[in-house]
Amino acid sequence: MLQLRTQKLQPYLLLLPALSILIAFLLFPLIWNIYLSVHDVSLTTILGGWKYVGIKNFSNLLYDPDFHKSLQVSLVFVGGSVAIQFFVGMVLAVVLNQEIRGSNTLRALFIIPWTVSAVITGFSFKFIFNDSFGVLNYGLGQMGLNPVAWLSDPGTVVWTLVIANMWHGTPFTVIFLTAGLFSINPLVYEAARIDGATKIKSFFYITLPLLRPFILINLILITMWSVNFFDLILVMTNGGPLFSSTTSSLYMYRQAFEFGLLSKGAAAGFIMIGINLILAFSYIRLFRRQ
Amino acid sequence: MSKSNSFRDYSFTEGSAGNMSYGYFSMNFKLILILGLILVILIAPSLTPFTIAQAQQPRQVTLTAIVAEPKDRWDTLFADALAKLRERHPDMTINIDYRVLPYADTRKQILTAMAGRTPIDLISVDQIWLGEFAQGKFLSDLSNLVQSWNRSSDWFKTNWDGGIYNGKVYGIWAWTDVRSMWYWKDLLNQSGVNPDSLKTWNGYIQAAKKMENSFKDKGIQPIHLVGASHSPDMWYPYLWMLGGKIVEQKSGHPQKGTYWFPAYNSTEGVKALEFLRDQVRAGIKPQITHFWGQEFADKKFAVMLEGSWLLGHFPRSEWKNLDKNVGMIPMFPVPKEGDASATMMGGWMLAIPETSSNKALSWELLTIMVQPDVLAPMLEKYGYLPTQKPIAEGTYSTQLNSTIPYYEQLISMLSMGHSRPSIAEYPQIADNIRQAIDEVYLGVKEPKQALDDAAKKSAQVLGWS
Repeated sequence: MLQLRTQKLQPYLLLLPALSILIAFLLFPLIWNIYLSVHDVSLTTILGGWKYVGIKNFSNLLYDPDFHKSLQVSLVFVGGSVAIQFFVGMVLAVVLNQEIRGSNTLRALFIIPWTVSAVITGFSFKFIFNDSFGVLNYGLGQMGLNPVAWLSDPGTVVWTLVIANMWHGTPFTVIFLTAGLFSINPLVYEAARIDGATKIKSFFYITLPLLRPFILINLILITMWSVNFFDLILVMTNGGPLFSSTTSSLYMYRQAFEFGLLSKGAAAGFIMIGINLILAFSYIRLFRRQ
Repeated sequence: MSKSNSFRDYSFTEGSAGNMSYGYFSMNFKLILILGLILVILIAPSLTPFTIAQAQQPRQVTLTAIVAEPKDRWDTLFADALAKLRERHPDMTINIDYRVLPYADTRKQILTAMAGRTPIDLISVDQIWLGEFAQGKFLSDLSNLVQSWNRSSDWFKTNWDGGIYNGKVYGIWAWTDVRSMWYWKDLLNQSGVNPDSLKTWNGYIQAAKKMENSFKDKGIQPIHLVGASHSPDMWYPYLWMLGGKIVEQKSGHPQKGTYWFPAYNSTEGVKALEFLRDQVRAGIKPQITHFWGQEFADKKFAVMLEGSWLLGHFPRSEWKNLDKNVGMIPMFPVPKEGDASATMMGGWMLAIPETSSNKALSWELLTIMVQPDVLAPMLEKYGYLPTQKPIAEGTYSTQLNSTIPYYEQLISMLSMGHSRPSIAEYPQIADNIRQAIDEVYLGVKEPKQALDDAAKKSAQVLGWS
């Protein structure tokens, strides 16, 4: 009887360490974030009484034009980053999967940008794209072209950030999809080749369908990372000029830590969790339908 | 099964009862002996000369501090002050564990530490943070200590007042800096610009146009215009020189009765912002990346309005003859000749957090750190300006004057120096102003519209609606 009970408890006991970590570092902060978002707490009132304000912080956000703007910027930044990172990553992964000399070395080289911290990447690109003294504008000048206001033009700045993020994030897609490509049995391609399938047909009818689980996870991850990404943006533009590069994650950070409005920042964070969940479920549904 | 086992155990215990009584006493005796030995071991040292010596050993105290970069200045200051503090307390072993953080992280780290009730004994506070920290009850009220210290009259009034919030002293302004106009003599010469022409708004803009033609394709820009996040700091002097204010007290606040209200969208503010707009229209490009004077030292700009820390970008070996190459006009350009100029004062205050567990000792350390004989050598080494009269005007000034280029002119600017409001909402207000400046730079709005829109947001931040 006792043995039976112990046996039943065993899996739960084994799960306990992992569950405790999840509760301490995921569930508790989440609940705490919700608690903060329905109170009026700033860094200057944190030691005083916390006034319950219900959904006031959320309604303030919904009426804040800067928050609306940040959602628009996020949409462009995330859409652009994910599309370009995925496309470039996929092309590079497929090319490197061919039997070409030095492909292993190239794969190792391609991972370097991903290992560099986003802050360092941000500083590097800040110098490259500097309007007055940047390498890029210097190069354009040498070619007789007019300099581009990469970081100071509200219409251009978000795309400059997408380029920097692409450099930083694409290696992950390359490595992840390469792992997926390795998992496909070469005999499948061989059989298709015997049946007369061209390389392009093999790609669309064999590679893509078999890579689908990898593509799904990759898309979910790079989308979530792009939604939450802010350190590179903070370093490169700090959200300027005129909020044109303030993504919702940067908006959240600035509210909470620059202005000390912890509750407003928590409410923005909660909305971002919602956005992340919606995006993840959308991807899963889309892929299931296909 | 288990029942019979326990019976067996019980009977075994009973059966051995006879032997147990002897064993019990023997065990008891051993136990008493062991306990007695432990007691002797514990008590004995207290009776030996060794313990007496140990009792005489100095008490260990480690003070903790969070300060802002650059690190070298704190190394110098803490080392000198600590030596003096140790001399005063030979009965104690005093150490300082200080963390030096980048400017952007310092405020955040201090606030996080204070909110988490982390015991910290000393912090460096930027003047604009004081209100926020004091309102959050993060800082110790130094008013009583200051009274018995009796040194407040040594400070310049503006600098002393900077440490006061709601009538209470929370920080001691240790050193300051002023923004002034720096130029490369040879570059102005080459383009035929008289430095004196830079003194007026019109002359400043005309000089920029003249230099633009002269430096075309040379990788040099005529005049630096701040487009980075601290752009309001470089706009305030124009506002102040015209008689404007950033915020002012107003009655009728829904919760607080009388409270701060945005005043920067006044006619003075609009006029000041129009001057920035005119600079952009004249072809001066706002620089969104700021290198705090390094860009001037690298000769990327012919003229730059920058803080006195700019000197730090030149090797100290060049300081003696710096005036041969680099000129300095101790003012911001004024609307017309003869008008009074203004500048902005920055610098660092020292404060004791409420969470400090060694407040008396921290206060003593703080007072030593701002003692002229301790502070002046550091100021001289790094080119900072004093906030105290005994350093600025006394015997130390001769030494500082002979070391820091343009020291006398920089000191003369203290009288036209203003400081930013040290209220909790200031970071948000500055962000509103920054947005207005950006809108004008980019031609999205006219100065009046941009400032009115920003002031509306600031009023909301201050709780007026």
